[in-house]
Amino acid sequence: MALFRTKEIIAASKLPPEGVKLSRMIDAIYFLPIAYFGVFATFHMHFDLLAGDWDFWIDWKDRQFWVTVTPIVEVMYPGAIMYYFWTFYRQPFGATLSITGLLVGKWITIILAWYWWANFPMNFVMPASMVSSALILDCTLLLTRSWMLTAIFGVWAFAMMFNPSNYPIFAYSKQPLVADGALLSLADYMGFTYVRTGTPEYIRIIEVGSLRTFGGHTVWISAFFSAFISMLMFTIWWQVGHFVGQSFFWATGKRGVKYRTNDVMIVGTDEYAQRHGTPNGIAPGASGRATLAEGKS
Amino acid sequence: MNTKNLLKLCVIGSLGVATLGLTLAFTAPPAAAHGERSQEPFLRMRTAQWYDTRWSPSKTSVNDEAMLSGKMHIAEDWPRAVVRPNRTFINVGSPSSVFTRLSSKVNGIPMFTSGPMELGGDYEYVIRLRARLPGHHHIHPMLAVNGAGPIAGPGGWMDIQGNYKDFTNPVKLLVGGTIDTETAGLVAGLFWHILWGGLGFLWIAWFMIRPMFLIRARVLAQEGGDELLTDPADKVAGFVMLGTCFIIIAIGFFVTDSQYPYTVPLQAGAPLIKPTHLQSDLTMKVLAADYDVPGRALRMTLTVTNNGEVPLRIGEFTTAGIRFLNKVGVANNLDPNYPAEIMALDGLNMEDDSPILPGETKDIKLDSRDSLWEFQRLMDMVHDPEQRFGGLVMSWDDSGNRHINSIAGAIIPVFTRAQG
Repeated sequence: MALFRTKEIIAASKLPPEGVKLSRMIDAIYFLPIAYFGVFATFHMHFDLLAGDWDFWIDWKDRQFWVTVTPIVEVMYPGAIMYYFWTFYRQPFGATLSITGLLVGKWITIILAWYWWANFPMNFVMPASMVSSALILDCTLLLTRSWMLTAIFGVWAFAMMFNPSNYPIFAYSKQPLVADGALLSLADYMGFTYVRTGTPEYIRIIEVGSLRTFGGHTVWISAFFSAFISMLMFTIWWQVGHFVGQSFFWATGKRGVKYRTNDVMIVGTDEYAQRHGTPNGIAPGASGRATLAEGKS
Repeated sequence: MNTKNLLKLCVIGSLGVATLGLTLAFTAPPAAAHGERSQEPFLRMRTAQWYDTRWSPSKTSVNDEAMLSGKMHIAEDWPRAVVRPNRTFINVGSPSSVFTRLSSKVNGIPMFTSGPMELGGDYEYVIRLRARLPGHHHIHPMLAVNGAGPIAGPGGWMDIQGNYKDFTNPVKLLVGGTIDTETAGLVAGLFWHILWGGLGFLWIAWFMIRPMFLIRARVLAQEGGDELLTDPADKVAGFVMLGTCFIIIAIGFFVTDSQYPYTVPLQAGAPLIKPTHLQSDLTMKVLAADYDVPGRALRMTLTVTNNGEVPLRIGEFTTAGIRFLNKVGVANNLDPNYPAEIMALDGLNMEDDSPILPGETKDIKLDSRDSLWEFQRLMDMVHDPEQRFGGLVMSWDDSGNRHINSIAGAIIPVFTRAQG
C-alpha cells in the first residue's frame, strides 16, 4: 500500500501524463525561484522594517518588547501566505515556508552584512528562530482544517512558544557580570563593548510600561499579550491574503450578461462549454470582441 | 562552434575587458571618515563644544588597550531646532567596532546607559578601548542626543596592527568563569537554528515530493476533491511534527534553565552625572559678530572684563572641534598629536593683543580666519535657520593657568569683500 494518495490525486486531476510532467515542472519553477525567494525577500524586508532592531542586536532582546513584538510581526506574513497555499492547494506549509524563508534572508544578512561587511561577531547579531512556532501553526491548520481554530489555538501557541523555544539560544547572554561597579547582563555588556556609532544605547526600549508590574512574570504576561494581538493580526492578514489572493474571471453568459465567476479552473474546459453552451467562454454572436477578461479585485 | 557564437563570445569578452579597464582607470578609494562635515554648522557649533580631545596611543596592536578622552561643554545657547539633551549617550564614532569599548566614564561615573546632561555643564569623558580590527581608522568622540541624533566631535586617526584572528575579549562573569564575547553562545545558537531550520525544510519537503500546485488545484475544484487531498499520511505527519516540536521546546527550555540558574534581565538605568562648570576670571559678552564669507573668517567683538588678580591673554577659539590658535595658544595648549587638519596654528588674530589687566574691561576684536571654515563646511552657517554661532574662548595667565569662557551670539554674514 502506497504511503500517499498521489496516484489517486493525479488521476482525479484528469491531466494527461504530459500535463502531469508539466505540472511538476511548474511546481519546481514556481515554488523555489518565485514563491520561496519572493516570500523570503519581501517578508525579510517587512520584518526588518517593523521589528528589525529587536532581532539584530542581542542587547535589545528584553523580557517585554522583544517577546511582544516579534510574534506579532512574524505572524502577519504567514497569515496571508497560509491563506493562499491552503485555500488554493490545501498545502499546510505557508507559515513554515514564510519563516524558514525569513531565516534564509536573515542568515544571508548576518554572514554578508553584519559579519563580513560590518565586522560584528555572529553571536552579537544572532536572530531569534520561530520555525518551531511556524511548524505548530501549520500543523494546527492541517489537523483542524479551520483557519478560525488555527487563529485561536495555533496562533496562541505560536506566540507562547516563542520565548521557550528561543531561551536555549539566548539564555547565556543573560548571565550577570560586574563592570566598573555596575551589574550588567552579558548582553548589555556586549551591546556596550561592540561600538555601534549610529545606534546609541537610548534607542533600546527595555521593559518600559506597565506589563511587568504583574508579579514579576514579565515574559509570560508579555507572551499572553503578544498571543492576543497575534490572533488579531493573523485574522487580519488571512483576510489580506484573501483580498490579494483571489482570482476570478469576468465571463459573459448566454444572454450576453456579464458575471463574475470564481470557478477559474473550469473556464476553457468541456464542462464550462456544456454548462454555458459556449465553447471556451465565448458567448454566441459575440465574435470579434473579448468576452472573457481576467481580473482581480 | 560556429561564427555567430564566436562573435557573441568576442562581444562579451570585450565588454568584460572594458569593464575591468574602467574599474582600474577610475578607482574608488575607500571612504575613511563619517560625514561629520555634513552635519549642520549650528549643530556642531552650538551643542557639544569639544576640547582637550586625546587619542592615545595613536598606534596599537590587536588586543592592546587605548584611550579616547577629552572634555565637552554643553552649550548654554543650545539651538531651538535641536531637542535638548535630556537623554544622551557618550559614544565612539568609528567605522564599525574597530575597537571594543571596555569602559566609558563621564565625570568619573560609568556611562553604560544613557542619561541627562545639563545645558552649561562641563563633562570630562574617558573611554577605554581595546584594539580589534587592524587598519587606519578615523575615530571620533560622539555625543548622541535622543531626538537630535549623533553629534560628532573632532576625528583623529588611530592605527591598529596585527591580525584580527588573535583578538579576544574575555569577560569575567559574576557566577564565576570567563567568557569571550566574540564567540560566546555561538555554537548553541547555530545548533538550534540548524535543528529548527532542518525540521522546517523537512516539513516543506514532505509536501514537495508530491505534486504541489496545479494538480492539487484542479482536484480541489472538483466535488469531493477536498476530501481526496486530505491524505491520512499528512495527518499522521502533522501529529508527529506537533509532538516533536513541543517535546524539543520543553527539553531545550528546561535543560537550558538548569544550565543557567542565575540570570538577570537587561539593565537600563540612567546614570545621574553631576556636571562641573567652566572656570574663568574673565566675563565675556558678544557685542557683534559677522561671518566674512569670501574671507573665510569669523569676526567678533567681545566686551571682556578681568575679575581676577592676574593679567590674562586670549590664545584660542575653538568651535565644532576646530581650533584657531595664536602664539599664546600655541605656547600653552599645543598638543602635537592633535590632528593638524582641524587646527589653525595662526588662525586667531586680535587687533589689540595686550593682556587684559585685573579689573580692566575692554572691547576686543577677535578674528578667527582660515580656510578651515570652508574646508570643514562651517561656511554653510549662512544657510542655517538660526544665524548664531557659539564656541569656547581660552585665555592664559603667565603661569599657564587656563581660563575658558563659553560664548554665543548672533552673527551677520558678509557676502562680498566690498560689504566687509
